[in-house]
Amino acid sequence: MKRRRRVIKLCVMMPLVMLLTGCWDLTGLDEKVFVIGIGLDKAEEKGKVDITYLIANAEMGSANGASSNEPSSMTITLRASDFISMKNTANSVISREISYDLLRLILVSEELAKEDDFIRFIYSAIKDREVKRTVHLIVSKEKAEDFFDKNKPLFLSRPHKYYVNMLNRGNEIGLIPESLMHHFLRITEADADLFLSAYTTTDIKKTEDKTRADENDSLAGEMRVEGVTNNSQFLGAAVFSEGKMIGTLTGVENRIAMMINDTTEVSDVISVFPDPSNEDYQVSVRVRKKQNTKVNMDLNAEPPQIHVTLPILLDVLTDPPMNNPVESKKKLENIRKGMENYMEGRVKELVQRTQKEFKADPFGWSLYGRKEFKTLKEYMEFDWMKTYPDMKVDVDVSVSLGKFGRQPKAPSYKEIRD
Amino acid sequence: MKQSEGKIGIRELMAIIMLSVGTKLTDDTPSILYSTAKNSAWMSMLLIGIVSIIPVFFLVKVFSVHKDKNLHQLNIHLFGKFVGNMVSFGLLLFGFTALVLDSATYADIISTMYFTKTPFLPIYLILLIVCGYGAKRGIEHIGSTAWLTIFYLKITLFIALLISFLQGEFKMIYPLWGPGIGEIVKTAGRNISVFADFYYLGLIAPLVSSYKSFKKGTLLAYLIVAIELVIPLIIFVMIFDFTSIEIMQYPFHEMILYISLGFLTNVETIFLPFWLIASFIRFSFYLYLVVLLFGGVFKIKEFEFLIPVIVVLVLFSGLAPKYGEFTIPHLREFFLTTLSPIFFGLPCLMLFIAKVRGDFKHEAAKESH
Repeated sequence: MKRRRRVIKLCVMMPLVMLLTGCWDLTGLDEKVFVIGIGLDKAEEKGKVDITYLIANAEMGSANGASSNEPSSMTITLRASDFISMKNTANSVISREISYDLLRLILVSEELAKEDDFIRFIYSAIKDREVKRTVHLIVSKEKAEDFFDKNKPLFLSRPHKYYVNMLNRGNEIGLIPESLMHHFLRITEADADLFLSAYTTTDIKKTEDKTRADENDSLAGEMRVEGVTNNSQFLGAAVFSEGKMIGTLTGVENRIAMMINDTTEVSDVISVFPDPSNEDYQVSVRVRKKQNTKVNMDLNAEPPQIHVTLPILLDVLTDPPMNNPVESKKKLENIRKGMENYMEGRVKELVQRTQKEFKADPFGWSLYGRKEFKTLKEYMEFDWMKTYPDMKVDVDVSVSLGKFGRQPKAPSYKEIRD
Repeated sequence: MKQSEGKIGIRELMAIIMLSVGTKLTDDTPSILYSTAKNSAWMSMLLIGIVSIIPVFFLVKVFSVHKDKNLHQLNIHLFGKFVGNMVSFGLLLFGFTALVLDSATYADIISTMYFTKTPFLPIYLILLIVCGYGAKRGIEHIGSTAWLTIFYLKITLFIALLISFLQGEFKMIYPLWGPGIGEIVKTAGRNISVFADFYYLGLIAPLVSSYKSFKKGTLLAYLIVAIELVIPLIIFVMIFDFTSIEIMQYPFHEMILYISLGFLTNVETIFLPFWLIASFIRFSFYLYLVVLLFGGVFKIKEFEFLIPVIVVLVLFSGLAPKYGEFTIPHLREFFLTTLSPIFFGLPCLMLFIAKVRGDFKHEAAKESH
């Protein structure tokens, strides 16, 4: 009796297992294609955008798929009203269901990013469940369609690997900003600071001068690279104010902005500074932040004042004049002072540029500003974005010297040449 | 076959409370708070937590002299047969409405955030069938399931919150007083009924093994749940900032969609099943309470057999509103506001009547003999 009941129970329970597959939303992996990147371009028609899909070939790179001759990715461009309806529209060409589950980046052409209407198209990102707030928002100099077509990396031909690695590494070294959709939405909605987005292009200028003070102090496409290599550059930042692109920052300027801003992290910065003891040479330095940026404000003053202290730890990695700074305190102090002045100068330049050109700051200072207010109403009335261009901003860089490379001392130049 | 004769201990009681009230942070309760109290919603919640201790404490106090009665029997005892029945009937209506609105909200979360292509009806149906089955098994089973799973559920929740805390930016909770103290207090006053579940706990008071564990369990769980609701409200702001959080409907789910565990990017698939189990337990418990009260008011002894009827009623009421996406959140907000004064006033009134009737003196006299 007991046994029979158990059997009956089991028979009743078994069909329930089928429910576990999630019925309606079930799709097999082999019935889907995965879009890695979406490109947005301006269309001549109002209310429409040209949308490009970068679709990864799932068979590439898997252990047994190596023999297949299919390309690793393909692109398709259509005119659509948004990238949600595009999922169906594109199926007239693509045989399988289109999925945004592995979407890594949304690439916007500079042309579209500078439009007022751009924000209308990008906000469909928060409507679709599959588009996450962790996708990267990137700006390309040329049309996004052309970028995806032309950009054929030699290694890492599987596109998701390539873009994720490229963006993460660029982020670590600070040459491109973090530029997640999440930050874009947050900063745009808070309406106080600037959002920085990674800037990229395949449109490389051919006739650039060979010598430059700092190769990174330029925008993507301007750096001179030779050899047989990837034909795209990721360098510098596109500046967004109120959800619209208004300008660009060079790689170095972006580094400075990221260093000052505590909400972003740059972990591995090696840069080139002019040598304080000999102007003909440059030294390589590793720049690290010792602590968080200290920001003091006096917002009641007229004009409001901000005092920023940026504690920096510098490792001087080269010594081309061969004058052995470690030998004397005076030389060390000289180097320290020289570096400090140089950095302060650069920071001040950037701050002035943001005040005059962009009329808002990319440093996240409004977050510090909030502490000075008791209620949201007071904060809103103060209107950070409006007040910032007139603020008096002081930046102190306090440099302390760290290591001097593996072998701090070098033989004297004169002795060798003797 | 009566299945609810068994009693539950302090562990089970606490687990049930922590799951049924604690999961409120994952639905649209936070967004109701954020809509008026903005970035200071956590302060409103803290205030609610501090103020709600009064009715909860009073309720526990009243039960100290009526250890063998449940809330319905107590109502009849205190207010008389007619008024007592009316009060219980009112409570039943509120309980039923809460069940309908909350379950519809949860089904909506599942269908908008996770299973976008599945129609609403089957999701809702499955949710209610599972919960109906849970409720049918009785309080003992609900309690032991809650106790079995609570650690897994809370640990995953804790991990999700911890990651978010580390990825968040603390400065975003400023300006500290948000929309101003007045608005914070008003929000707290309107939504004090977040803890109304505690009032309904009176229904299972005699089912707890002893009065002492009922008192201890309720108050201890209250403390934990209050903290558990305040901290996430801070963390959501730290991640999304006050402007974005206002337009978000389900901040918790947005959060688990956003965060990543190192190389694991789609972590919501880890959190979803745990959250689902918590919701199943929550609604099993609600359903059980509603049926229990229904059985009390209409004098039906074998109240477990009412469950299928109630499930069907809930299902159709939940499906009824036109433009559910829009109506249900509004109804929920309205409902929370209406329930607030009742939740605060009733226990005070009950204690007052009990004092006037001299119940406490009788008890003291009984004990001294």
